[in-house]
Amino acid sequence: MTSSRFALPNLGFGVGLRSLHFSYILEDHPEVDWFEIISENFMDSGGRPRFVLEQIAERYPIVMHGVSLSIGSTDPLNFEYLKKLKRLADDIAAVWVSDHLCWTGVAGLNAHDLLPIPLNEATLAHVVERIRTVQDILERPLVLENPSTYVGFTDSTLSEWEFISRMANEADCGLLLDVNNVYVSSVNHDFDPVEYIESVPHERIVQFHLAGYTDCGTHLIDTHDGHVTGPVWNLYAHARKLTAGVSTLLEWDANIPEFPVLQAEVFKARNYIGAELPDAKLAASPIGADDHTISPMPHPLHFMVPSAE
Amino acid sequence: MSHDAYNLGRIERWMQTVIMHPAGVQQGIASEDARRHLDITTDEIEKVITRSNALTADERLAIYSRAYHGRLLECLRAEFPVLLHALGGELFDRFAFDYLEQHPSETYTLARLGEKFPRYLAETRPDRDAVQDSRESWPDFIIDLATLEREFSEVFDGPGVEGQPLDVESELMEALRSAPWSEVRLVAVPCLRLLTFRYPVNAYFAAVRKKGNPDLPERASTFLAVTRRNYNVFLYDLSQQQYELLSALIAGESVAQAISLAAKSTPSDGVMPAANVRESLHNWATLNFFSAIRKPLELAGC
Repeated sequence: MTSSRFALPNLGFGVGLRSLHFSYILEDHPEVDWFEIISENFMDSGGRPRFVLEQIAERYPIVMHGVSLSIGSTDPLNFEYLKKLKRLADDIAAVWVSDHLCWTGVAGLNAHDLLPIPLNEATLAHVVERIRTVQDILERPLVLENPSTYVGFTDSTLSEWEFISRMANEADCGLLLDVNNVYVSSVNHDFDPVEYIESVPHERIVQFHLAGYTDCGTHLIDTHDGHVTGPVWNLYAHARKLTAGVSTLLEWDANIPEFPVLQAEVFKARNYIGAELPDAKLAASPIGADDHTISPMPHPLHFMVPSAE
Repeated sequence: MSHDAYNLGRIERWMQTVIMHPAGVQQGIASEDARRHLDITTDEIEKVITRSNALTADERLAIYSRAYHGRLLECLRAEFPVLLHALGGELFDRFAFDYLEQHPSETYTLARLGEKFPRYLAETRPDRDAVQDSRESWPDFIIDLATLEREFSEVFDGPGVEGQPLDVESELMEALRSAPWSEVRLVAVPCLRLLTFRYPVNAYFAAVRKKGNPDLPERASTFLAVTRRNYNVFLYDLSQQQYELLSALIAGESVAQAISLAAKSTPSDGVMPAANVRESLHNWATLNFFSAIRKPLELAGC
């Protein structure tokens, strides 16, 4: 077990804040330790989403999780975006600010997806330099998440865990270890998820993500549309033991159920604290296609839909 | 690596071009745009993308291609639910798919994804080159509906005046009693939008949002005020003369000048009687259309 390098608190067990649950949260103040917001859904908000967020922030700790920083892009950093990000973080006293190791667009466009980069010395230097710039602007450590990915590059010379470890150490940033993403990518890229989890610098892990995936038979898609699966819980239990105990968050972005279902799901994590890993190598349970009639959507982005009154 | 590493920027531009290509990955790789970044054929894709034990390189890339189009179509469907209802899923998706190809997102926020959609529908209507009188009418309805839904979204999450004291009503009534109307001017709240349509889309919009299935309405010019109070969006039908009066007031004209401009725009209605003006302004003030009254002294900078 390793203590966190950052003086960031263990917030306990939280869930992603989604507009579907706004009224329930405001009225019932459900028992959950903290919320994570999608930063971009609130950065420009002058309406109800921002109003609701401010009320929730008075009662619960809030962490900001972005999807458009595009730290791996070769486009220049968007300083206007970073200014707004910092302003929101200051306004709601965000406990920390995270995003993903990815690029979301280039040549001025945004694909609104978390796209992978080749993992090699040149891209490592590129990302590290940009993280340092972002941290200077935000005046706080940036926390970066390992994305779930579906392609690998011929130009990659480093494993993802090597890249992430060196990135975090060289840029002095935090890590958001998405355990579901580790598992999804391990199946999609044929690597051992336990080796991944054992190799990353545990003292830099600030937060865990948990979510559900869809099994397409030949690959897994990170759909955030269901319960956390057994192999992911086992990996989580293992990762938990390697850290000093860091904040855990459940993401659920498609087929979103009523809040108590999310609440019950994230609190299942308590059962895995200190649990033994049933299978040290976690030989992934045999992969077999789930029943789905339309193409599952990787990491769906929660879109703030105007509500009619 | 069996060759010098590709420059990251070239890989990103190539991959983006391929996954955004409307005809899919194979066509994307073969496209002139993609080959300008990385000059490889579809048979050479493994020079860039590796295969997994279960999937070929192009099958892996196709996951991103499907996700790009699927995700953004889903966002547009969520922003334009009433237009989706009117068009049906297949036709809506065709319009939305073409729109995304012409106007890919250029911002960090999905809130702006649909901002050009109404204009795109107007610019690409099938009879856009025909003279006005020979145009079909259904595109007008579709464009009006898209415009209303976009305005609704913008008012919903744009700047508002919640939390600010708005006690304009009594002050306005007093000013209308005691000051020359040529000296009374009003400041509109930032969330007030005035819209004019060729179809009564407000009623259709309201019915569909309440899960109804209304018939397509008959063509009729309609005028609408959209605003927000206590974080809820409200839509109010206006007469044309009220619309003209309010438009002039929002533009900074005095009440007297606004009445005159409204009369010129609606000659068949004549000049709006003072009692009607007073009643309309009173109603609008109670609905928080205005944030302040600009008095003569303020105008003079004193």
